[in-house]
Amino acid sequence: MSLFRFELRKLLLNRKALLLLLCLFVLYSVVGLTSTMFLIGSNDSYRAYEELAANWEGPFDSEKAAESEMIYQEVSARYGTDARMISRSVKDQPEIILAVNYHAYAERVEEYWNGTPPESAEEPYGIALLQGKLAELESQGRQDSFDYQELSAALERLEELGEPEFANALLWENLFNNWGEHMMQFLLFVPLTFVIAPVFALECSSGMDNLILSSRNGRRKIVTAKLLSVLAASTVVVALYLAGTFLFGFLPHGSFHGWNASIQSIPTYARSMFPWKIWQLAAVGAAWLIFTGAVYSLMICLISSRMKSQMGTAGVSLAILFVNVGLAAMGDTVTQRLGALVDFGLANVTLMKEVFGGYKGFNVFGMYVSYPVMAVFVLAAIATVAAFVAYLGQKSRAVA
Amino acid sequence: MELQLEAVTKNYKSKQVLKGISLTMRAGVYGLLGPNGAGKTTLIRILADVLHPTDGRVLYDGRDIRAVGDEYRAKIGYLPQDVSFYGDFTGRDHLEYSAALKGMEKARAKKRIEESACSVGLWDDLKRKCAAYSGGMQRRLGIAQALLDDPEILILDEPTSGLDPYERIKFRNIISAYAKDRLVLLSTHIVSDVEHIAAQIMMMEYGDIQHIHTSGEYIRQMKGRVWLAEMPAEQLMAYQNQAVISNVRAKDGCMEVRIISDTKPAPDAVQAVPTLEDAYLYLFNYLPGKAGR
Repeated sequence: MSLFRFELRKLLLNRKALLLLLCLFVLYSVVGLTSTMFLIGSNDSYRAYEELAANWEGPFDSEKAAESEMIYQEVSARYGTDARMISRSVKDQPEIILAVNYHAYAERVEEYWNGTPPESAEEPYGIALLQGKLAELESQGRQDSFDYQELSAALERLEELGEPEFANALLWENLFNNWGEHMMQFLLFVPLTFVIAPVFALECSSGMDNLILSSRNGRRKIVTAKLLSVLAASTVVVALYLAGTFLFGFLPHGSFHGWNASIQSIPTYARSMFPWKIWQLAAVGAAWLIFTGAVYSLMICLISSRMKSQMGTAGVSLAILFVNVGLAAMGDTVTQRLGALVDFGLANVTLMKEVFGGYKGFNVFGMYVSYPVMAVFVLAAIATVAAFVAYLGQKSRAVA
Repeated sequence: MELQLEAVTKNYKSKQVLKGISLTMRAGVYGLLGPNGAGKTTLIRILADVLHPTDGRVLYDGRDIRAVGDEYRAKIGYLPQDVSFYGDFTGRDHLEYSAALKGMEKARAKKRIEESACSVGLWDDLKRKCAAYSGGMQRRLGIAQALLDDPEILILDEPTSGLDPYERIKFRNIISAYAKDRLVLLSTHIVSDVEHIAAQIMMMEYGDIQHIHTSGEYIRQMKGRVWLAEMPAEQLMAYQNQAVISNVRAKDGCMEVRIISDTKPAPDAVQAVPTLEDAYLYLFNYLPGKAGR
């Protein structure tokens, strides 16, 4: 048996780890199931919603917008303006849910054309607003500036995408929430930390590093085996999360409706500049979670190789995972000064909505580089450095 | 084949654990004896290439082992002092894992696993999980993995701790048979482990190898220095604080005391046949005042 298979067995294919995986899959299934159940009252309600929505799907319709506005005003007077609160309060009334969703869609259409209010702190968005900003820069003769490049790229993309259309993608929206919110990090990345943490630290605590380091393959090939096993283990854990939330998110209502709609029909991705269909975003999102999970696991691997205790490894790894949440919480001044740390910190970059939900760009030697491209580059660099340092460390490692 | 230490020094912060040890070893069994804290394990670890000296170097056939790297480690079998095998692995899994670590070919690994397991009496227990192994079985498994690749250099740190007398004798026989044209370094504080099988015995204390002789030479040096005397139990209590006593035995209402001394310790003391254990106690001057070192 190769070293890789033994390393994988130590990490994942043993009784304790398999039990943990089973528990995680149950947890993920429950998350998928309950989030869907909270979305809408019952299967009948969902069926009714699907039937009603079928007549409303398609390009913007001002009559429907007016009708939904009227219903929305009534509902918001009763339950407030928070969309989630409203949908929970009326989850057995599909016609109201539909009206509320169409109202939100109408607002997105308005934003598409006229953009965010000038006083908004958000990134500029909307055809008119972007045109206005570009004209302002042109009048200042700043056509060569990075801001001009970024805004004109955004405008070009926005025009290519066209006005958003309304689609019933309720279940997909729920799926993307499960895959792209902070809760995912607690459910997926925290357990992953504890699965990967023993990879090197276990050898130290058991004294097996004596045998490993004194063997022919104990300085190089063992690192390759460990890195591969870490990648395999992280892929398995992420795949369980994806499978659990996917299967049990759709299973109760037995429908994949909306799979071919554009991602701009989902509120979180309304400002995305990617011309993708929902199924494509699901594929990209799954790949993104597997990729970021792998990078995070390689970081844990490196930490594990430098520390003697599994708990210490887990503690440091979790601190690194959430460091940018802490930085972001410290306010705008910190965020502006340490922008790169916040943008490329794992807590941010692992969220697919942050990476694929907008059009943020970076100035790289005067060139506009989109957030996803930068994120791939930065994460790949981190993974490479982590692997390289793990090799170097093992080469010169000595027992304590 | 030659293993040479050149002024090997090891410091842990301000404490010097090894003090410039120089030594050359060739094929044969070498015993490394010394009290706890003498630096035996540190020296063994440096030879096993799992610890790096602060100063000095170890040469394998004239080449620094750090430079030889994988090639050197391919030639050694090592049993560390403390190791906890993966509880979820069976004995066979563990030997297969060791074979993979040593880069052994599959067919050869299979054959050697059988041979090594048989030689240490673990064949029937290979399917059991390591977690269910007794301390002695774990030690035997460790010996089996050290022998697995038929290494040119075998380094064993306290190999017999936890073994019963029969297993200990069996182990000595295995090592004797094994060491024909290979170098075996056996570190222990159990004198009988090396007394009969080691060609050279190194006595180590305070981070330095202070004596290297054969067992016979050590015993010859002790001629006229080992005495048997009889004394009442009350007298023994006071006497044992001033003399190196290697054994006490109750005999006919009083105590027969084996004393190590350059001079006749009592008028009625008679000379006894010395052993390596006597030499060990004599050389390390095991007076009660030094017991806490």
